[in-house]
Amino acid sequence: MRVPVGLRILLLIVGATSFYTLVGQLVPQKEVQPPKETELKKEMTADELTKAGKDIMEGKGLCTTCHTFGKSGALRFPDLAGIGARAATRRPGHSDVQYLAESIYDPNVFIVPGFNPGMPVINKPPIGLSDQEILAVIAYLQSQGGKVTVTLQSKVWPLEAVAADAQAKD
Amino acid sequence: MTPRLNAKIAVTSLIVVAIAFAATVGLVRWVLSREYRAPERSDQAQLTPRTQALADEAAAKAKADREKPYQEESYRKFPMVGSRVAVWVLAQLHLLFAAFVLAVPLFALIIEFIGWLNRDERYDELAHEFTKLLSVSFSLTATFGAFLLFMLVLLYPKFMNYLMHVFSPTFAPYVGLFFFEAFFLYTYYYGWGKFSQVTHLLLGLGLNVVGTAIMLIANSWLTFMTTPAGVSESGAVISTWAAVHNYTWMPINIHRIIANVAFGGSVAAAYAAFKFLNAKTDEERAHYDWMGYIGNFVAICAFLPLPFAGYWLASEIYAYSQTLGLTMMGGAFSWLFIIQAVLIGNLFLGANYYLWLGMGRVQASERFQGYIKFLLILIALCFAVWATPRSIIATVSETRAMGGGAHPQLGYFGVMSAKNTAVNLLILTTYVSFLLYRRSGRTPTVSWAKLGNALQFAIAFLAGATVLFLGIYGYFVEAKVRIGLSVPQVSSVLFAMIAITAIDVLMYRNAKSLGEVNWGRIHPVSQYVLIFLAVTFTWLMGLMGYVRSGLRQHWHVYGVMRDTSVDAFTPTLGFATRVVSVTVLLFFLLIGFVFWLASLSDHKPGHAKEHA
Repeated sequence: MRVPVGLRILLLIVGATSFYTLVGQLVPQKEVQPPKETELKKEMTADELTKAGKDIMEGKGLCTTCHTFGKSGALRFPDLAGIGARAATRRPGHSDVQYLAESIYDPNVFIVPGFNPGMPVINKPPIGLSDQEILAVIAYLQSQGGKVTVTLQSKVWPLEAVAADAQAKD
Repeated sequence: MTPRLNAKIAVTSLIVVAIAFAATVGLVRWVLSREYRAPERSDQAQLTPRTQALADEAAAKAKADREKPYQEESYRKFPMVGSRVAVWVLAQLHLLFAAFVLAVPLFALIIEFIGWLNRDERYDELAHEFTKLLSVSFSLTATFGAFLLFMLVLLYPKFMNYLMHVFSPTFAPYVGLFFFEAFFLYTYYYGWGKFSQVTHLLLGLGLNVVGTAIMLIANSWLTFMTTPAGVSESGAVISTWAAVHNYTWMPINIHRIIANVAFGGSVAAAYAAFKFLNAKTDEERAHYDWMGYIGNFVAICAFLPLPFAGYWLASEIYAYSQTLGLTMMGGAFSWLFIIQAVLIGNLFLGANYYLWLGMGRVQASERFQGYIKFLLILIALCFAVWATPRSIIATVSETRAMGGGAHPQLGYFGVMSAKNTAVNLLILTTYVSFLLYRRSGRTPTVSWAKLGNALQFAIAFLAGATVLFLGIYGYFVEAKVRIGLSVPQVSSVLFAMIAITAIDVLMYRNAKSLGEVNWGRIHPVSQYVLIFLAVTFTWLMGLMGYVRSGLRQHWHVYGVMRDTSVDAFTPTLGFATRVVSVTVLLFFLLIGFVFWLASLSDHKPGHAKEHA
């Protein structure tokens, strides 16, 4: 039986479309929800703050879209493993908190050698973390090889506030 | 039981039910009439507590209605499929028809111009036949555009209000240009043969200029949504021109013009294939074979530089926001590019296969047939590299055995260095197929032919080697160097194509013919290949339209206006591909209608003999 040309064309169109649909079903399926807010409470312990910072980095902060932890080789952005230990040595005259705060609030002031500028300002949209959320992120970054010193009461930006905050604590 | 008995039972049941209902109503009325009433102490109408409560309720509702404040709705719901899918399908259909309506005049004008330059009427007729598809398509484009606008205003009123706030100065020129578009389109089509050729060409030029201007304005709206500029942090307009001339505006303009031509050429070739397969005479077959060849030639010529325009667009997205760029290439959408690789691989395979089948219609083309297998191997290898993902879907034990999500060897093919190399080599290979087809049935007569051949081979080889070397080199350098390597890779391929074409044109001037081109004498499979290419182009446009729009994720305007609707999430790729497929099928259903309408005004091609 000879299949009419019109039917053949129809089968070809439906077949090709079905094939591409099938390819679409074979790749990993992930539904990406808008970022959820992480609850921050004033009386959080250092561990709780660190945990909240990790959640923010992986969620609303979108940090892990670009940064890795514990990867080496040809990276597009700096790996953050051990950043808590390195932070105080990156910029002369900057404490670890000052360096981390500057990297988040004004990221293009200092670019890690070997990398291109590209980090967005984190406290502005589209990411738009609040000051409290940034404190939690700094706590988590400090925990990567260093000691967590910030709390939700800390003032880290502008930079002068860090020194004033430290003096007030002393 | 007998039917008679059944009927009796049914009637009795009805009577019992009616009596029971009447009794219930009577009982309720009696209870209400016995309700407590306050003793009569004034001349006011006596209300039962229940009636009073009802009256109070009605008065409270009336008061609330009077005092109800006006509130602007943010979103409205579309039944069944939801607002996002409804707008998505309509926008895609509008864009597909718009792309077709913009592309066909572009290559129709070029074909008409070639005919005018060479005083060859065949080209003029061909251009006219292409434009036959335009008038109905133009109406469908406008209809879908209006439908889309109404749906946007209806379903996303707050968002549309904001876009109007930013872009209101562009609306009047847009509508004005639409009138000019209609004027030029209909005078260009209906004025065929009725004006002097130069006047007619100028009408075609006007049509293209106005069409492109319309597209530029519409592109500014949609690119602003992804890479907004010219507005304050809170979204207030600072400069409308800056909002128009945002980061991705010009790259999208260029990318769309090229992609529209590729898409339009492929749909026009599919029309020719449809006509070829239904042709009754050799004359018709010869004509539509030629038409399909030209349509496909236009499509592939536009398709070859398309990846380069894509690089530019992607680099501008990265320049605007690294986060946005990485979301596209390394985040939620990274697997979409594996689907894209399958589509583009199929386009390259299909385009080459059509050319190789086309050699069959040229006498004395056998001398090039031997090269086909090498070209096929190269295309298959590049296709495989391009479609290899960086990380593989694997079980826990498989992941452990691989030492991570990426395969220890194949994982190297999943990164950009390998992808860039593969696509550049695919382009170069397809170009070589074109070159072989072009040379079929002819031999150069110039004295320097051997030198020319050697030079062409050397350029092609050097370009291929450069692309390969830079691709491998990319694995050993840091990120900021590696990103820049795509530029010399692209440049070497572009240079090779331009230089080899220039040599070829000079070398084959006054070439000796070894045999005729027998238009119409081609395997029918070739026509199905043309239709397959059109479907693949359309599907690819749908997919890339999704990534361009979906990239914003939970933002209507990235970083400025957040999407707070129920559709703010990014759907799975499986869902997205199903929507794309539905849109593609709807498009082909409608374009089939356009083809049928165009066929109604058919006349027998008068110059087919000359093609044969």
